[in-house]
Amino acid sequence: MTMLKIENLHAEVGGREVLKGINLTVKAGEVHAVMGPNGSGKSTLSYVLAGRPGYEVTKGKVTFLGQDLLALAPEGRAAAGMFLAFQYPVEIPGVSTTMFLKTALNAVRKARGEKEFSPVDFLKLQKEKMAQLGMDAEMLKRGVNVGFSGGEKKRNEALQMAMLAPKLAILDETDSGLDIDALKVVAEGVNALRSKDRAFLVITHYQRLLKHIKPDIVHVLADGKIRKTGGPELALELEDKGYAEYTGDAALRAGDKSI
Amino acid sequence: MNAFLQQEAVIDATLPWLEDAQKLGEQPAADWVKALRHTGAEAFAHTGFPHPKQEGWQYTQLRQLTDGDFHYALEAPAFDVNALPQPLLENSARIVLVNGKYRPELSDAPEGVIVMSLMDASVQVEGIEEHLVTVGDLGKAPFKALNAAYTHDGVVVTVKAGAEVTQPFEVLFYNVGDTDKAPALYPRCLYWLGKNSSLTVIERHTGTGAYFTNIYAGIALEPSARLKCYKLEEESATACHFSYTTLQQQKDSSFEGFSYATGGKLSRQEYRNLLIDSGISSKLTGAYLLKDQQCHDFTVLTDHFEPDGKSVQHFKGVVDDQARSVFQGKIHVRRAAQKTDGNQLNHALLLSEKAEASFKPELEIYADDVKCAHGAASGQIDDEALFYLQSRGIPQAEARSLLIESFLNTVLAEVSFSPVREVYEERIRAWLRH
Ligand SMILES: Nc1ncnc2c1ncn2[C@@H]1O[C@H](COP(=O)(O)OP(=O)(O)OP(=O)(O)O)[C@@H](O)[C@H]1O
Ligand SMILES: [Mg+2]
Repeated sequence: MTMLKIENLHAEVGGREVLKGINLTVKAGEVHAVMGPNGSGKSTLSYVLAGRPGYEVTKGKVTFLGQDLLALAPEGRAAAGMFLAFQYPVEIPGVSTTMFLKTALNAVRKARGEKEFSPVDFLKLQKEKMAQLGMDAEMLKRGVNVGFSGGEKKRNEALQMAMLAPKLAILDETDSGLDIDALKVVAEGVNALRSKDRAFLVITHYQRLLKHIKPDIVHVLADGKIRKTGGPELALELEDKGYAEYTGDAALRAGDKSI
Repeated sequence: MNAFLQQEAVIDATLPWLEDAQKLGEQPAADWVKALRHTGAEAFAHTGFPHPKQEGWQYTQLRQLTDGDFHYALEAPAFDVNALPQPLLENSARIVLVNGKYRPELSDAPEGVIVMSLMDASVQVEGIEEHLVTVGDLGKAPFKALNAAYTHDGVVVTVKAGAEVTQPFEVLFYNVGDTDKAPALYPRCLYWLGKNSSLTVIERHTGTGAYFTNIYAGIALEPSARLKCYKLEEESATACHFSYTTLQQQKDSSFEGFSYATGGKLSRQEYRNLLIDSGISSKLTGAYLLKDQQCHDFTVLTDHFEPDGKSVQHFKGVVDDQARSVFQGKIHVRRAAQKTDGNQLNHALLLSEKAEASFKPELEIYADDVKCAHGAASGQIDDEALFYLQSRGIPQAEARSLLIESFLNTVLAEVSFSPVREVYEERIRAWLRH
């Protein structure tokens, strides 16, 4: 079953075209990795999919579980089963993490026509997921991400994902900022969610994450376009050779007139 | 225009506001009350309402008030007693003032609290004029002067030395307005706490229709007295609310005030907090939530006379539509007031492009060993935070409310009496659904 279908997607940020014709299809059960040089548009793609204001789609189409994704508000996308783990999670002083999680979880359940969690059931679930991710309960009292270390913020993203149990999770450099042990824990969290009706889009710079979360398909995104698609071996090749092949003249030959 | 003609013009404009005070002439009153009315009327006749160029009045325009036609009446109009709002807390005792007039038959005070109408107290309570004949120059405070000219309505609340009143005490100002013949209300009130006594007051201002209420309140805290005073200014949408409070604190006394302001089309709460002796704690905090074309002004002076005082002025507000907020705060530290710790903070969140917030934060310090800080700023809802919440499935309106509540939380945290804090939180949530 096709979960996500991106067709000829063009998008602008700050008046500049950043995505220049993305085509990508993700089926249920698959894990796709997206790799590419800095500034190539990986985060932009993730924000466009999540519906961030200011990221303007100028051309193309995105279908998510049969729906026109671009017509939905960000909260509608979350309700439909989309989740973005941010590269740079946002700090929200004054809103406690636990309050935030509860509001989010119940909002999503309500939108999906499910019953809201009772306070007890919610706390149980939260406790269980926190334990799995090795998180300290003290963090729940603090404002969302306020004063969290880089690694703690990423774990908090993983916690939200585990609680919201999305259909499609986009992980934007969730590995950056994590130490080796944390990386394993977070990867286990992702693997625990893997199933035949879920899919993942994993954005990363490093093969080390893909050692723990084994991708089915690997894409190279450079200068706003998918330049190559292959199997897990492509990630190893990139680690070895870098992106030289996909930038500059070689990319031009590959047919991008916009460079 | 020469000075004489100019003065004539002011008197022409101010006389209609004073005419109704003659009705009070026939009533029996203590000499000091008569003298106060006279001084007030004279001062107001010469100044009229404040001019925009006058110190402290640059930001709040009074046209909505001065263009109106308001009249004082000796009797409150008839109204339906069932229309009175329920007390805020179940376990509180409550007194009621209708159009500024104390209604003993609707009132009930907690044990240890003595309540009297102003006129009764003026002849029965010794030493009262000291607290009710206002400190300072009436010529510089026109609203206070106008209120003085009408000295008649209001209540005096006293707590005896050593009495610790545990039951919360609600003071309800219920105002019955009228569009055709809008009333002008001039209550004068006093809270007088004896040595080492304590009291928690919930002061509510609410009503229906158009009216102008102009309150003068004195708060006198004797040595080591402790007062918590939680205000809700929820006047009707077409009302004008002006209040002027003089707080006089004696040695080691403590004051915790919070003012929640959402009502009225034009309002100003002015405070002069006088920390007359040493070792005093004085906290005045508040939140304002404004929409449509509301204008609200908080003007606060905290004056440290002696050493070891601690004061806080901390206000936060949310301003929507074309509403306007004003905050003018000053901390004055006299030469003797060493080791003063003064803190002033004001933040406004603007929810629309046409909303406005004006600030005038001031520190005036003559002592050398003090710790004083101030800050004022306005901002908007953080778009990144909003998107983050939405991306987790929280609908935009709810996400906005959550961010606004979290913005106000830091000031609500100053309310140490949690049942009232919860009331404020509920009020804020309800307002956010507007
Ligand atoms: N608001 C903006 N205005 C103008 N340009 C922007 C804006 N936001 C992003 N860009 C540009 O878009 C391009 C793509 O950025 P993006 O964050 O998507 O890259 P990325 O592939 O995620 O990079 P990295 O690997 O460093 O995270 C960059 O050149 C960036 O400078
Ligand atoms: Mg990025």
